[in-house]
Amino acid sequence: MSQISFLRHCLKLPTAMVGVVLMVWSALGMALINSALGMALINSALGMALINSALGMALINSALGMAPIASAAEPSATEPSADERGLELFMGLRDVLVHRCAGCHGAGSTSHEGGLDLSTRDTLLAGGGRGPAVVPGRAAESLLYRLAAKLEEPHMPEEGDPLPADVLARLAEWIDRGAPYDRPLIEAGDRGPWTERMIDPRARRSWPFTPLAAVAVPTAADPDGWCRTPIDRFILARLREAGLAPAPMADRRTLRRRLAADLTGLPATPAEIRAFIDDQREDAVAEVVDDLLSRPTFGERQAQHWLDIARYAESFGYEQDYDRPHAHAYRDFVVSAFHDDLPFDTFLRWQIAGDELAPDIPAARIATGFLAAGAFPTQLTEKEFESARSGELDDIVSTIGTAMLGLTVGCARCHDHKFDPLPQADYYRLAATFTATVRSNAEIAIAPERHALAVAAWQAELDRAVAARRRIEEEELPARFDAWIAAWQPAEAGSAPDWRPGRIVAVTSRAGTPLTALADGSFLAAGAPANDDTYTFTLDFPSEPLVSLRIDALADPSLPRGGPGRVAHGNFALSNLTVAAAPIPAAGAEPVFSPVKLGAPRADFSQPGLDVSHAIDDSPTSGWAIDPHVGQSHVAIFDFAEPVGYPGGCRLMVTLDFRTSPHHAIGRPRIAAATVAGFAPIPVTPEADPVDRARSDAWLISHLVARSDRTAAESAELRRLQAGSDEGWRAADAFVRTSEGARPKPETVTALVAGDHLTPIPHHADGRGYPHAYPETWFLRRGDVRQREGVATAGFLQVLSRAPEETWRQGAGQESAGAGRRAALARWITDPEAGAGSLAARVIVNRIWQQYFGTGLVATPSDFGAQSDPPSHPELLEWLAGELVRGGWRLQPIHRLIVTSATYRQSSTAAPRALLEDPRNRLLSHFRRRRLDAEGVRDALLAISGALDPSLGGRAGPDDASPRRSLYLDVKRSRPSPFLRAFDAPDRVTGMGKRAVTTTAPQVLLLMNGPAVRRWAEAFAARVVAEPHRFRDEVSDETAPIDTAYALALGRAPTDDELAAAVAFLAGQTAAYAAAGQADPTATSLADFCQVLLGLNETLHVE
Amino acid sequence: MPPPLHPRPPLSLPRRTLLARCGAGFGLLALDRLLAEEGTGAQTSTGGSPHFAPKAKRVIWLFINGGPSQVDTFDYKPELAKRDGEPLAGFDANTGFFAGSVGGLMKSPFTFRQHGESGAWVSEIFPRLAGHVDRMAFVNSCWTDSNNHAPALLRLNTGNTRVGSPCTGSWVTYGLGSENRDLPGFVVMVDTKGRGLPKGYAQNWSAGFLPGAFQGTGLDTAGPPIANLARRAAMTDHEQRAQFDLAARLNARHRDRTGTDGELEARIESYELAYRMQMTAPEALDLATETRETLDLYGLDDPTCGHFARQCLTARRLVERGVRFVQIYSGGEENQQSWDGHADIRGNHAGFAAETDRPIAALLEDLDRRGLLDETLAVWGGEFGRLPIAQKGDQPGRDHNPHAFTMWLAGGGVKGGVTHGASDEFGFKAVENRVSVNDLHATILHLLGLDHTRLTHRFNGRDFRLTDVSGAVIRGIVA
Repeated sequence: MSQISFLRHCLKLPTAMVGVVLMVWSALGMALINSALGMALINSALGMALINSALGMALINSALGMAPIASAAEPSATEPSADERGLELFMGLRDVLVHRCAGCHGAGSTSHEGGLDLSTRDTLLAGGGRGPAVVPGRAAESLLYRLAAKLEEPHMPEEGDPLPADVLARLAEWIDRGAPYDRPLIEAGDRGPWTERMIDPRARRSWPFTPLAAVAVPTAADPDGWCRTPIDRFILARLREAGLAPAPMADRRTLRRRLAADLTGLPATPAEIRAFIDDQREDAVAEVVDDLLSRPTFGERQAQHWLDIARYAESFGYEQDYDRPHAHAYRDFVVSAFHDDLPFDTFLRWQIAGDELAPDIPAARIATGFLAAGAFPTQLTEKEFESARSGELDDIVSTIGTAMLGLTVGCARCHDHKFDPLPQADYYRLAATFTATVRSNAEIAIAPERHALAVAAWQAELDRAVAARRRIEEEELPARFDAWIAAWQPAEAGSAPDWRPGRIVAVTSRAGTPLTALADGSFLAAGAPANDDTYTFTLDFPSEPLVSLRIDALADPSLPRGGPGRVAHGNFALSNLTVAAAPIPAAGAEPVFSPVKLGAPRADFSQPGLDVSHAIDDSPTSGWAIDPHVGQSHVAIFDFAEPVGYPGGCRLMVTLDFRTSPHHAIGRPRIAAATVAGFAPIPVTPEADPVDRARSDAWLISHLVARSDRTAAESAELRRLQAGSDEGWRAADAFVRTSEGARPKPETVTALVAGDHLTPIPHHADGRGYPHAYPETWFLRRGDVRQREGVATAGFLQVLSRAPEETWRQGAGQESAGAGRRAALARWITDPEAGAGSLAARVIVNRIWQQYFGTGLVATPSDFGAQSDPPSHPELLEWLAGELVRGGWRLQPIHRLIVTSATYRQSSTAAPRALLEDPRNRLLSHFRRRRLDAEGVRDALLAISGALDPSLGGRAGPDDASPRRSLYLDVKRSRPSPFLRAFDAPDRVTGMGKRAVTTTAPQVLLLMNGPAVRRWAEAFAARVVAEPHRFRDEVSDETAPIDTAYALALGRAPTDDELAAAVAFLAGQTAAYAAAGQADPTATSLADFCQVLLGLNETLHVE
Repeated sequence: MPPPLHPRPPLSLPRRTLLARCGAGFGLLALDRLLAEEGTGAQTSTGGSPHFAPKAKRVIWLFINGGPSQVDTFDYKPELAKRDGEPLAGFDANTGFFAGSVGGLMKSPFTFRQHGESGAWVSEIFPRLAGHVDRMAFVNSCWTDSNNHAPALLRLNTGNTRVGSPCTGSWVTYGLGSENRDLPGFVVMVDTKGRGLPKGYAQNWSAGFLPGAFQGTGLDTAGPPIANLARRAAMTDHEQRAQFDLAARLNARHRDRTGTDGELEARIESYELAYRMQMTAPEALDLATETRETLDLYGLDDPTCGHFARQCLTARRLVERGVRFVQIYSGGEENQQSWDGHADIRGNHAGFAAETDRPIAALLEDLDRRGLLDETLAVWGGEFGRLPIAQKGDQPGRDHNPHAFTMWLAGGGVKGGVTHGASDEFGFKAVENRVSVNDLHATILHLLGLDHTRLTHRFNGRDFRLTDVSGAVIRGIVA
């Protein structure tokens, strides 16, 4: 990797950073002098060498900004100057000019105050109302200098402090050297429409936008054999350059505790520590690491980090801050992904477009919960609709930018990015990717493989049952037929059945809705409900004339709100019912139907205005409906104007037409006909079959047996009836039916997901017409929804695109507008060759590095842009990112590389010289002690006290007192966990890549007075009595609890001094409580002691 | 040697000032990394001291929750009485929340009178506040961006209608710290009459992307005041002191073994601070030491206003002890639970005015006679105003109005007896010297000695400020 590409970073470093660090450290009192010195030295170590060599490259650097393609051929809009010192001064002054002057005097400002625009050298020289702002070469005569130096009024800048003397001096020198610009201060907005702005292609050559470079592992001398992994060679090389040496290895107890805390977020147990101390084999570390990486707790720990970045929460935020009860499916997906070592590129792709890329994989669909995780208002007025949607897209785009690419893409919402080559147009093209994307709660079948296996087993069983039944039909029944006829006792006269089921010839749906026959004669609809549908039932009734028709609309748990309709609220609307009749035709002949006139409509219930009579009024806009009585079965009965029947039986074609309202088909219809008129509708239940089948069959058998001139169809019917009365067949048939009903159901989970054109989660403003999404995403001037400037088509960041956009589209978008937009983005973002994958890889390995060393190789993990510090070890970062990609994007090998390195295994004791020369330990001359993060603190307390419930997944509820790991506590945005927030957990509104670490008195109040911690301390005390552990041989009754408490909390024996303090404390507390007449002074004292141990620095720090 | 239990042993380290920012948040002792690495260029933040000499040192923000009506409080519009019942020409029915209840112009049900040397008009519902108009600077030309409670509340508190940004109190304590590290630097008091929290709840006093230590500390004047402040009932100071001493001793040993480290030092110190807070905070909140005259001044025993009086008096005791920022919410969640007078504007506003008039007037008086008003900024106002037209109903009310509302400021650095800006003849839209929420924030920061353009925090690669990219100090009201 070329040093040149770090130029921009290095130039930022000197003045600003020293100032900040001084400020912080001076706050720490006596550390002032040391830190100042240290900072200067670290600057020299990190940046100064680069700066010198870089100065000559300033002109190349000038290519970083944006310019319209048209003018890209010209080197710059401003005149290049050979005066390197002048350019160097300008680059140093750029920040001041941008922040203190250009707000009013820049192309981006609303009105150029005084007409002056400092954006380019040309406009600077052109000046404003008072003439040229600068006379090149003559600072003393230049207005810019004179106003800033208070030599003339009005003094500038108008707001805030005057420019400091050193800045004024540099300003003067810059003017004296001709006031050269390397590139415009603010990219001009008036050179072509901003919505079409192209970046200067040279910007792609600059890190971090470059493809991954091949990096050789340094081969510097390592006489002590310190290096264990390639990582160590990079680290050692830099340490040697700086004249520093690595710290000694951490002792085995410390290392074991460190590994447990870092990899699983839970403390190592005394047994684990003991085993590791005793196992001095060289590969013991590797084995422990492999073991820890394989634990689900590793997945939990990694998920914890990612959920900060993904701004995951389980409530909407805003007004009512409603719960999102299905959000945690995403969280559990993240845990599994890290536990299973899902390739990281897949992990990213699924979160953007899992539903499009792998619709059959449940985890992929659940992964889109990433897009859905942002806060969103649950109450909106009309005036807010569009800006709320715009804000929702901004949340998605900004979070993808920071989380996946380490780029502050969101800064380009209102203007071109001030520092990075991200034009505002790129922002809106990214946002357009999500034009149709909405939040939805989806029922998702999980574990499809398991389900497929179960279905296969079931099918085999069913096949066997069907074969057994067929054997009876083919081998046994024909032999018994004549005897059965002969033995038949005719049914009594007048015993005709009430309702007859008919024999199903065909059941069809015009819309192709699958209709599955159930045992009670009804049919269950499945699949997505069609807008309009028509069901046609063709049934044969080999019997006496029919006089009535009955339609059951049955409730069913599979239907929305229990049905019986298919629309979301459970209603249906039967627009039209028509019936036609025909003689049952001979085999191969076509039936000839005649219409049947219907009358006397009646139903158990009709919705007001949608009476059952509308079902036969020939109007498609009216119909029979039953709201609000959803979730229960309904029945309607119609009489035929005249009895319908033919010799040899009657075929009815019953047509149910549903077109009154979209999706309003009946979900589970059943048809029956009667030979006796006059039935009133009766309440029905899904279980009640109106047909007495035994009675119906007996009547029919008698009817057919008595006929000597049976048609072929009637003979076939009689054979079926024989089977129905045969015990052996009935048993076999019952077994088949039971088996059929036992088809394994898919396991499902309801998950908060995001996708295009899904059913959005209901919103308070739905009644006001809130659209949830707009048909297009528009370019918005200044980010203002009232200033649309054309439709933005989906696209990618130009600076990370080295191929035509079609490369990532792969034919998507053919079927319907916008389809596959997210899939394309997902492919681009993980394409390390021509897309953004190289940057995505750098960003994630840097995040992992930060987990273990407190600070990333790039210190700002969510900002790799020009405003960030230069990487401390650029080649190492490049090498690690390359390892990730070469290794198929598996993260666990990267974790393994890091934690088995000698660098990671160093002691946290720093050499005095290292503290002096590298106070921030960017060179990693020792391990950096860290306080556990909020979840780590709480989980450690639970684990040490033995109160931890280690179950995985699901929700733990909102209460800090829960025994579940902190990962599983509900994340409620308006009511963050007091415990976690006290220890610096973020607010989960905006993604956060790095937490602050504060030390506050309320943390102590929580540890010492908090009721939950006290309960854990009491559990800890009880455990100390119940489970003795010790790390030393001497033991007495008096010291045994102390030894155990130290073993559990700290994994070691107490020192003599600590032991003495503990013994005295316990004695003193016990005496005091006894004197006060408290019930169990010994137990209370032990709990007091345990509580102190829980809060100790040693307990709560990774050493 | 066993640790002595009494008296409190000195810590093994010489006490030293750990951090100039001490007490910035609630008992904040150390703030690692954030500033050092993620943070702030030279132009940003303050290192715990103001950018320039402050006029005010502390703020008490009386948040009149729900959106008080400007035309029924301080922005007198005689034209409304003349045109009562007439339709408001060109009115966009979507201006307020209920587009279907738009009525005609509606005169105020209250009479207005002029008061003080300044002759400011004040509604009859504020008989006592009317006596303080010469201390107040009225801004009658405020406007905001949302006609909906939660976004408007967030806007006024954080400068942003979207969640996730630090609120004003967080920014101020982030920039200035607090003068008393034994007490929270930023305190929030909400309705104690069971009427709920302002919409959006704790998001209104969230520290957003700043560390949680800068969030507002909820203070309950009706129950245990601050979470975890009291030790277990079964434990006396003697036993707890022994616990703290043991922790100090063991932590000191640990530090001695592992080498010094700012954060370890700070944690050791945090035990002492926490221990001290247990004494200091209850004392600060104990109103028993106040004189009968003071209690009566505020109306502590008045059943109508006693609850709010308790909060105002507590606010005075807090600022007296150096607490930087106190916010008190008048009213609960919405509708008749707060100043959100969609129905019965007369009953609604008269009721909430009766709860607050005497306590707020007393607060100004009390601050003044103790010499605190000069350096304490009082802010009065809500998230938006109300429409000059009626919201139709059995008892007419007024709907939300983002286009105009009134706030007043008093005390530290504020000109008394002035009125800045004006709304139109109906009080419908701010027309003259319009003041945005950013302007208001810029002014509050300015009075505290902070340049709003320089109070910044870098987060996710961007320098954020309370006033985003705009805001101008309202010069006309700065003394």
